[in-house]
Amino acid sequence: MGTNRKYWKGLDELNETPEFVASTKNEFAQELSVDQFLAEDKLSESSTGRRDFLKFLGFSVAAATVAACEAPVVKAVPYVVKPEDITPGVANWYASSYYDGETYASILVKTREGRPIHIKGNKNNGFTKGGTNPRIVGSVLSLYDGERLQEPQNNGATSDWATIDAAIIKQLKATVAAGKKVALLSNTVISPSTLEIIREFKANIGGGISDSVNQEGAIEDLSMVSTDNGNIEHIQYDAISYNGMREANLESFGKAVIPDYDFSKAKTIVSVGADFMNSWVLPTQFLGDYVKMRNPEADEMSRHFQFESNMSMTGSNADYRSMIKPSEQGKVLALLLKEVGGASVAGLSTEGLASEVIENIKAAGIALKASKGKSIVVAGSNRKSIQVIVNAINSALNNYEGTINLNTPIELHKSEDAKMAQLVKDMQAGKIGALISWDTNPVYSYGDTEGFKAGIAKVGLSVSMAKYADETASLFQYICPDSHALETWNDFNPKLGHYSLAQPTIRPLHNTRPAAESLMIWAGLASHVGKNSTNYHDYIQGTWQKWGFTMQTEYLDFYSYWSAMVHNSCGTDMFATPTAVPFAGNLAAAGKAESAITTGEWEIAFYQKAGIASGIHANNPWLQELPDPISKVTWDNYVTMSPEDMKAQGFAMELGQVEEQNVVSVKVGDRSIDLPVYPQPGQAAKTIGIAFGYGRGEGGEAIGKSAYQQEGIYGQASKTMIGANAFKLAVGGVTEAFEASIADTGNKYILACTQTHATVMARNSIMKETTFDIYKKEESAAYNHRHTLHTGWNHDEKLTEEFDLWEEHPVEVVGHRWAMTIDLNLCVGCGSCVVACGSENNVPVVGKDEVKRGREMHWLRIDRYYASEIEATVGTRNPEEFEAEGFGGLQNPGSNPKVAYMPMLCHHCNHAPCETVCPVAATTHSNEGLNQMTYNRCIGTRYCANNCPYKVRRFNWFNYPSYRKFTEVNPAQDDLGRMVLNPDVVVRTRGVMEKCSFCVQKIQTGKLVAKKAERPVVDGDVSTACSDVCPSNAITFGDWNDNESLIRKSTEEKRAYQALEEIGIKPNIWYKVKVRNEENEELAAIQTAHGSHGGDEHGEEDHATLDTGSHVDETETNNGH
Amino acid sequence: MHKESAIREPLILGHKTYHDITEDVCRSIEGKAPKAWYVLFGIALLLGLYGVGCILYLLGTGIGTWGLNKTVQWAWDITNFVWWVGIGHAGTLISAVLLLFRQKWRMAINRAAEAMTIFAVFMAGLFPLIHMGRLWVGYWVMPIPNQFGSLWVNFNSPLLWDVFAITTYLSVGFVFWYIGLIPDFATIRDRAKNPVSKKMYSILSFGWSGRAKHWNRFEIVSLVLAGLATPLVFSVHSIVSFDFATSVIPGWHTTIFPPYFVAGAVFSGFAMVQTIMLIVRKGLKLEAYLHVKHIEYMNIVIMVTGSIVGVAYLTELFMSWYSGVEYESYAFINRATGPYWWAYASMMTCNVVSPQLMWFKKLRRSLLFTFFISIVVNIGMWFERFVIIVTSLHQDYLPSSWSMFHPTWTDIGIYIGTIGLFFVFYLAFARYFPILPIAELKTILKSSGESYKNDTAPVRPKTAPVVNTFVPTDEPIEEVVETIESTLDHVEEKATELSDDEKQHKISSLIEKLGVGNADQKDDLKVISGVGPKLEETLNGIGIFTFEQVSKMTKEEYDLLDSITGTFPGRAERDDWAEQAKNLMNK
Repeated sequence: MGTNRKYWKGLDELNETPEFVASTKNEFAQELSVDQFLAEDKLSESSTGRRDFLKFLGFSVAAATVAACEAPVVKAVPYVVKPEDITPGVANWYASSYYDGETYASILVKTREGRPIHIKGNKNNGFTKGGTNPRIVGSVLSLYDGERLQEPQNNGATSDWATIDAAIIKQLKATVAAGKKVALLSNTVISPSTLEIIREFKANIGGGISDSVNQEGAIEDLSMVSTDNGNIEHIQYDAISYNGMREANLESFGKAVIPDYDFSKAKTIVSVGADFMNSWVLPTQFLGDYVKMRNPEADEMSRHFQFESNMSMTGSNADYRSMIKPSEQGKVLALLLKEVGGASVAGLSTEGLASEVIENIKAAGIALKASKGKSIVVAGSNRKSIQVIVNAINSALNNYEGTINLNTPIELHKSEDAKMAQLVKDMQAGKIGALISWDTNPVYSYGDTEGFKAGIAKVGLSVSMAKYADETASLFQYICPDSHALETWNDFNPKLGHYSLAQPTIRPLHNTRPAAESLMIWAGLASHVGKNSTNYHDYIQGTWQKWGFTMQTEYLDFYSYWSAMVHNSCGTDMFATPTAVPFAGNLAAAGKAESAITTGEWEIAFYQKAGIASGIHANNPWLQELPDPISKVTWDNYVTMSPEDMKAQGFAMELGQVEEQNVVSVKVGDRSIDLPVYPQPGQAAKTIGIAFGYGRGEGGEAIGKSAYQQEGIYGQASKTMIGANAFKLAVGGVTEAFEASIADTGNKYILACTQTHATVMARNSIMKETTFDIYKKEESAAYNHRHTLHTGWNHDEKLTEEFDLWEEHPVEVVGHRWAMTIDLNLCVGCGSCVVACGSENNVPVVGKDEVKRGREMHWLRIDRYYASEIEATVGTRNPEEFEAEGFGGLQNPGSNPKVAYMPMLCHHCNHAPCETVCPVAATTHSNEGLNQMTYNRCIGTRYCANNCPYKVRRFNWFNYPSYRKFTEVNPAQDDLGRMVLNPDVVVRTRGVMEKCSFCVQKIQTGKLVAKKAERPVVDGDVSTACSDVCPSNAITFGDWNDNESLIRKSTEEKRAYQALEEIGIKPNIWYKVKVRNEENEELAAIQTAHGSHGGDEHGEEDHATLDTGSHVDETETNNGH
Repeated sequence: MHKESAIREPLILGHKTYHDITEDVCRSIEGKAPKAWYVLFGIALLLGLYGVGCILYLLGTGIGTWGLNKTVQWAWDITNFVWWVGIGHAGTLISAVLLLFRQKWRMAINRAAEAMTIFAVFMAGLFPLIHMGRLWVGYWVMPIPNQFGSLWVNFNSPLLWDVFAITTYLSVGFVFWYIGLIPDFATIRDRAKNPVSKKMYSILSFGWSGRAKHWNRFEIVSLVLAGLATPLVFSVHSIVSFDFATSVIPGWHTTIFPPYFVAGAVFSGFAMVQTIMLIVRKGLKLEAYLHVKHIEYMNIVIMVTGSIVGVAYLTELFMSWYSGVEYESYAFINRATGPYWWAYASMMTCNVVSPQLMWFKKLRRSLLFTFFISIVVNIGMWFERFVIIVTSLHQDYLPSSWSMFHPTWTDIGIYIGTIGLFFVFYLAFARYFPILPIAELKTILKSSGESYKNDTAPVRPKTAPVVNTFVPTDEPIEEVVETIESTLDHVEEKATELSDDEKQHKISSLIEKLGVGNADQKDDLKVISGVGPKLEETLNGIGIFTFEQVSKMTKEEYDLLDSITGTFPGRAERDDWAEQAKNLMNK
C-alpha cells in the first residue's frame, strides 16, 4: 500500500524555498563563528556580568578541585607488551636454592607480576625435601629493605661501578706488585662456580686486564692459567664455627669434614647440646628426616635423649631430657661411651653428675646398644675434645656404616678459626695490602672486634661486597654492593654429590652486582655490564657444562640438561654410601682437655634463635617479631636462667606488660654485656643461655630500620640496639663459656612476650598426650577421651557433636568442607608457619611496644606449654596431687618440664561463637565451612574476639600501614617494602577484626585450577601457607567432604581430636594426640585406668564436667528439637 | 481524697502550702545561682572537656590508645557502659514501677532520678559508640534499608538487642520525663518575668494551659508510659546481661545474669540517686520535701537489692563448684585469688557487706552515713562490672593467651570525662529545670503533708489576739509545731465561731505568706500612703501589724487582701504598699 505522505522538517522544506534548496546542497551547515557570536549586539545585554562569570569560573574550579581530593590517585600502569610468562593475577613459582652462609635449602619462590612475594620449601626436589625454617621463609622481605645499598660506595659516598672497578683493579695490581698480601675474606662459599672464580681471581690478579678482552674468550684463556699467587689468600670465616668438629673428624678419621647424618634411619638419637632441629649444621634436612621416625602408626618410633643446659627447641621435643652444665658434656659423653661398651676416656672423671642424668645416660646406653648402626650421637659443642668422644661413641656403635656418612660430607660451615686469627694478626702487623670482604661481618661476630677494627685501619685497600653498610662494611673504603640472592644466579654444592642452582626471580632492584661478578671483573674475566649482566650466569652455565653435564647420562644435549636443572633447581643426587672408617682419635687427649676445664660460678651455653640465628636477619621485622619457640619472647635476647636460680638471686620472675625484668651484667674474662634475665624452666642450675644474633648495629649503622628498637608509645623509631651482642663473650668461635660471673646492674627492662602463662593448667580437652606404649596397647579412650552428654528420659549418652543449639550449617553434605589436622606429634615449634602465614596474608608487624601490650597480629601462633609438677605430662594432671595442691599447683612449670607445642589458628567452627555475636554480620559462615571475615562490613565491636574460645582473632588497633610508629619498624609498610605484599589479600584498615581465613585466596585458586581441568578438586589442589611450608608435614589440609581425601582419613584416625570439643562449636580443625616415646608410669596409670574403667577418680572429674555442667541445658535443648 | 494513716511519717514537712511548693522549687530557677554552683559546674565542665579531648584522641588515633589487647578486648569501655546503664536504672524504676505501686514517696525523687537516668544513659550510650573500631560506620547496627544489597543486621547478636534495648529505654525514659515536666514548665512560664525565659519555658511547656482536659490527658499518658516503661526496667539490664550470658566464656556464660544484673542496676541506681539527692537537698534547701524518711526508704531498696546481688554472687560461686566444669571453677577461683583479687575483694566488700549495714535503723537514717555508703556502692558496682568483664576474659580457655589489662590514661580520662559531662548536664538541669515535680507534689500535700496530717495546717485564727498567743521564735520547727499543738484546742474553738470558712482560709494563707505579726510591736501602718485608721484596723484584724509583713506583699497578696476585705480593690497595688513599707522599714 503506497502512501503519499510527505515528511518535512520545516516550512522552508515544505515550501521548497530557494534558500532551502541552496542549503541542501551544502553538506555541512556552517557553524556560527566565534567572531559572529562575539559581534552579536545582544551579548552585552546578558545579565551575567564579567565579575559573575569569574565568580562562576572560580567556583567551578574550586569545586572541581575539592571533588578531586576525595580519592587518592592510584597509578596502575598496564603492560604495553605483556611479558610472555606473566599473567596478571596468576602467580609464577620458580624453583631455586637458598643459602645465606649458614642455612641451605631447596626452595620455591612465588612471584606475582614479576615480584617475588613468598618463599617455601621445595618438596619435590633436593635433599631438603621441603625442609625450611623461618629465616628462609622470611628472607623474601629483605629483598625490599630500603636500607640495602643501592649504589657502589666510595668512603661512604655514592660512586659508580666504572670508577670503583678501575680504582680497585689498579690498587690490587699495585698491592700484588708490592708483594703485599691480598686477603679475600668470606663466609663459607659452597658455590662451585664462585670457588672457580676465586681460584681464577687468585691466579690472575697479578696479570693484566684489557677492556677489550672478549668475555667468553677470557674464560677460555685465563682459566688455563693456574699458577696460584701465594700472596692471595681466601679465608672462610663464619660467625658460628664448626671448626672443632672438622678438626675432630680429621683426627678421628683423617678427614676434616662434617659427615652427613641420616636421622630418618636413627632409632635412637642422643644429642648433647646439639639443636639439630633449629640451628645445628643442616636442620633443614635433619628435621624432615627426624620426623620420619616419629610416626606412632609405624611399628617403631625413634627414642630421643637430649642432654643440654638450655631448653632448646630440639631438647623440648626430646623423649628424655636431662639438664647438664656445659662443662659436664665431656663427662656425660665419657660415661655414655663406657655404657655402650667403648673405651674409657682416660683422665676424665665421670663423678659429680646428677643421679637423674646418670639414669638417663644408662637408659640411652641401653637404647643405643640395642640399635647399633641405627643410632646417632651428636654434640653441639665446637670443642674438638667433645667431638672426638662423640666420634668414639658413634664408632663403637657402628654408626659410620649406617646413619653417619663420612663419604658424603656436608660442605657448609667451613670456617677456619686459625686462619682467621692469623689474618687479624697480619692485618694488625700491616702485612695485608688489600682486604676484600664478602658476606661476612667480623666486626660484629668476631669476638676480638677491636683487634679486627685496628687491623682494618692498617690495610691499604679495603673492599667490601656487603649488601648493607653494616658494622664491617662501613669501615671499608669501597663497598661494591652484592645483589640480593633473589636477584642473581648462583650455584651450590651443599653436600658432596649434590649440585643445585639458584635463579633470579626479579631484575636487580638497585644498581648492585653479584659479588662473584665483581670478582670476575677484578680478575679480568668480564667487564661491568649493568643490570642486564649475564656474566655470572654465563660463567655458571660454563661450569655446569664442563662439570655437571659431563657427569650425567640422563640428558643428551646441554640445553635440555640446563633447562631441567633450572626447572628443578638441582640435579640428581650422587651420594656415596657410608663405609666404616676406623676410629683413630686421641681419647686421652680429649679427656685431658675436658678435665682441664676450670669453671666459674656461672657457665654460659650460647645458642641461636629460630628467627634470628647468628644475626644476619636482624633487620627482618617478620623474624624479629617471630616469638622464640621456647621463650615466646620477641624483639630481644636475654639471659635464660632457671627459676630456682632466679629466686636465689632475688630476680623478678613475672612476665607481662608492666612487669620488669632485672638487667644483669654478664662477664666473661674482661668482657661483659648487659641483658635482662628471663626465667627458663628446664635451664640447668647455675647455667645461663644467651642467644647470638642480637646487638646488631652498635654504632648506629644503616642495616635496616627493623634492626633497631622502636621506642616510646607513639613515637619514632630510635636507633636503640635490640638486645646485646653475645659474640663479645664468645671469643674464638666457642659455643660455651665456663667462667662467667653475673652482677645485677640495678636496671630494669620489660621483655615483649607473646605468651606469659607457661602451663596448660592440665586442660585435657586442649592438649592431649600419651606414650608410644599406651598408644599401641590401649583403646583410644585411654588417651583420647571423647566428651559425651546425657539426653532424654533414659539419659542416653551421646557425643557432644550430636547436639545442636542452632540449625546446623549444611557443610557436611554439600560441596566442599575445608578442614585441617595438625599432628602435635610432628610439630616441633619452629615457627616457619607463622612467618609463612604473615607473608601470604600481609599480616602486619607491630613492633616490640605493641607486642608487649599483647597486640601481636599473628593469625597463626604456636602455643608452647610446659608440664607442671603435678601433671603426668602436658595436659594430664595427676589426680591425687591435684587434690592436694589445687589449681595453684598447675600454675608453675616443673623444673625440667615436658614441653608441647600447639599451633593455634582460627578453627572455622561450624557453630562459631564469633558469628552469632557480630551485630552487623561481618563474620559469617560460608557453605564450604569457612568462617569468613568481611573486613568492609566490620565495625569493630570486638565482641567476636572476646567470644572466641581460641583467642585467635586479631584487631587492628591502629592504621598500621600509615601510622609512623609502625612504618618505622616494618619495611613492609614503606613504599619499597609494600612490593612484598600479596596482591590477593587486602591490607586491613584500622578498626576491623582480622584472622586466619584458611588462605581462602589459595582455596579459590585451587578450585579454579580444578575447574579449568574439568575435574573435581583433589588433594594437592588446595593448601594453606602453613601446611605448605611446614618442614615436618604436621599440617594436613583439604576437603573433608571428599571421602578419599587425606584430610578425611586424617580426621578419622584414633589420635584425632578437636580442642575444646565440649563447648559444642564443631571446629574444622582436628589435632592429633602427641605421642612421646618414653616410659611414663604416672601417665600410664592415669590413662590405662581411664581407658578401661572410665569411672575412676580422674574419669569422674571429666564426666562431672559433662554430666552436671552442660547436661541440664543441653538435654532441654535436645528435647526441644 | 486519698487518706493516709496518721502513724505514717509525713512526706512533706512543715507548713507547706501549694504556693510554698511552687516557690521552693522555682527559687533555684528564678533566683541567682550560688557560687558553689559555678564552682561545681566549672569543675564538671573541665573534667567533661578533658574527657571529650580523650575521646577525640581515641577517634583520631585508634582503639589502641586504650589498654586493650588480643585477649581482653573489652575492659573499661564496656565496664563503664554497663555501670552507667545500671545507674540509669533507678529513674524509670522510681517513676514507673513505684508509680504503679502508688508509692507516694517517690515524688520527692522521681524528677531528679529520671533526669539522672537520661544523663546516665547518655553517658552509657557513648561507650558502645566510641568503643567501635569504626565509629563512622556505626549506623550499620541499625536495621535501616541500605544500598548494600541484601545486607541486614544480625538479629542473633545480643549486641544488636542492646542497641534496641538502650534506644528504646532512652526514648521512653526521655518522653516520660518530659511529659512530667510539662505542667511544671508551664508554672515557671507563668511566673517568668524575663521575656526570654518566658519564651523558652513557653516553648518547653508545649502550650500547657492547665485545663481539666490537659490534666486528664496528662494523667492517662503518664499511666500508659508507666506501663510501657515498667517492662523496660527489667528488659534493659537483662539484655545488657545477655551480652555476657549468651557467650561461651567461663564467667560470662551464666544463666543467673539477667535478674542479678537488674538487681545490681537498681542497687547502683538508687545509690546514685542518694549521692545526688543528698547534695541537691542541701544545695537547694529541699529538706522539707526530701527528708530522712525518703532516704530511709531508698536505703531499704539498696539493702534489699544489695542482698539479692550478694545472693547472686554466692550462687555463682556455688554453681562454679557444683557444675564441676573446670573452666568455670577456675574462672571463679581466679576471680577471688588471681591477679585481680583486689577487684573482687572491693566488689564483695562494697556490694555485699556495706548494704547489710542498713539493717541498723540508726545507720539507714543517718544522712552522712548514707552519703558515704551510696558512693561505696557505686564503686563496688563499677568493680562488679570490671570483675565480670576483665577477669573472665583475661584468663579464659587457652592458658597460652592469658593476659592482663592495664588501663591507659585515655581509658581513665574518658571515664572521668563522662562523670564530668554527667554533672555538667545534671547541674544545668538543677539550675534550669524544676528538680521536684511541682504539680505532683501538690497532689500529696493534703494527704502526706505534715501539717495537714496532724491538722495543724496553716489554719490561721481569725482574730489577732489568738495569733498573738504565738510567740515569735527562732526555735526549730519541731518546737514550733509543739507550740502550735498546745494551742490547738483554743484555735479550734475560735475557728468554729467563724461564719465564713473561706474567708478564714484566705486570711490564714495570707498570713502564712506574710508571716505572723507581733501585735505588741506593731508599726504605725497609717504612715503608708493610702492606709487610713479604718484600714489599719482592718489590717490589724486580719493579723497584719508590721511594715515587714506589708513589705512582703505582691500582686497575689494584694488580690487576696482585696478579696478578704472586699473594699479598696486594686488600691494597695496602685499605691505599692510593699515598696513603701520597705522604705519605711529601713528608716
